[in-house]
Amino acid sequence: MSPRPPTLRENRRYILVRVEPAGTVIDQKELYYAISDAVTSLWGDAAAGVITQAVVAAEMGHVIIRCLRGTEKDLAIALSTVTSCRDVRLALRIVAASGTIESLRERIRIVQPVTGPSPEPAAGLTGTDGTEPGEYVFAEKPFILLYCNGQKVDVIEKGFKNAHRLFLTKSDLENS
Amino acid sequence: MKITDAAVFPYPCGDTSVPRLALEAKALGFDSLVAIDTPAGSFDGMEVLSGIAVQEASMRDVINRVKRANDSGAVVSVTARDNGFNRAVIGLKGVHIIRGIHAADKNAFDHVTAKMAADNNVAIDIDLSILISGRGIIRQRAIHRFRDILILERRFEFPVTLSTCARSYLDLRAVREITGLCSLIGMDISGVEKALDAVGRVTASSPSAVRVVL
Repeated sequence: MSPRPPTLRENRRYILVRVEPAGTVIDQKELYYAISDAVTSLWGDAAAGVITQAVVAAEMGHVIIRCLRGTEKDLAIALSTVTSCRDVRLALRIVAASGTIESLRERIRIVQPVTGPSPEPAAGLTGTDGTEPGEYVFAEKPFILLYCNGQKVDVIEKGFKNAHRLFLTKSDLENS
Repeated sequence: MKITDAAVFPYPCGDTSVPRLALEAKALGFDSLVAIDTPAGSFDGMEVLSGIAVQEASMRDVINRVKRANDSGAVVSVTARDNGFNRAVIGLKGVHIIRGIHAADKNAFDHVTAKMAADNNVAIDIDLSILISGRGIIRQRAIHRFRDILILERRFEFPVTLSTCARSYLDLRAVREITGLCSLIGMDISGVEKALDAVGRVTASSPSAVRVVL
């Protein structure tokens, strides 16, 4: 089957989305199912068939999602209802929309690259006295640093049980 | 205009500290937050208002809680129940917001209650977390109730607030996303702007009905 000439092809739009929390491992297929579920739940099968959403790339904490031109707004609303992907809590923050994937890739390069989980103590942040390196105390409980970017610090409770991720700032850890 | 999220639940109710919520909300386009059970403060130019959510069983307990909260300068919100309860709460001095109206009885908020809310400058809260995380019949019912409230709002012009009820910064949404979500319930951009600004209007001290002239 020969490809259609450009004038007969559907016009598509690409939406650049940042995945939060930082450091979340993105499985493109699982995220597609999560988005597809959100779109179908909100707009129904008929509209989902028109939007024809697809996850085309996932790189550097960002995801590029394809849709039919003119349906970006509907897709954006549906994306704001995505709260988890395979039982992992996440949020999709829309960064930009474009007609080409390349311009969105350029946009990813421009925005500050998302660093991975940082096991090293963050600059200007020291562990509390009497704790191991990389260990911090918040609300009288020991936490391990998971991610640090500027003022934002993600920590996880030390231990096997109830290991919840907390989202704090440097000032929270310094003041505790 | 001050864009305010009418309810967030920081740590220990949620998993995000108040400064982090303020930081993230600022990045998403907000000017202030109402943080439940948290002292007021300012973080990185972001105003955090103290909020009190009253969820008591009896009217007497509600009156006691509201009286105690009156001196604190906090934004006082009461969870809606049946129609009689809601009318009584709206008449209470010091109550700013009625929330959870989507989960209350079908007749919990009628035209009489709407008129009372407008007269007493009490806002009705629209909980966006139902639209965000709800699925199926729960979300459909919430959309129906919110649309019904907005019909009354257009007629009686009582204040409406918008809250994400975020227990994590992941539950916060950008102002543009909130505009999109509100389009589901028939709220246009001007309505969203007005609703995001409503906390400031309901907490502002209203001029006294009677003025003593010496």
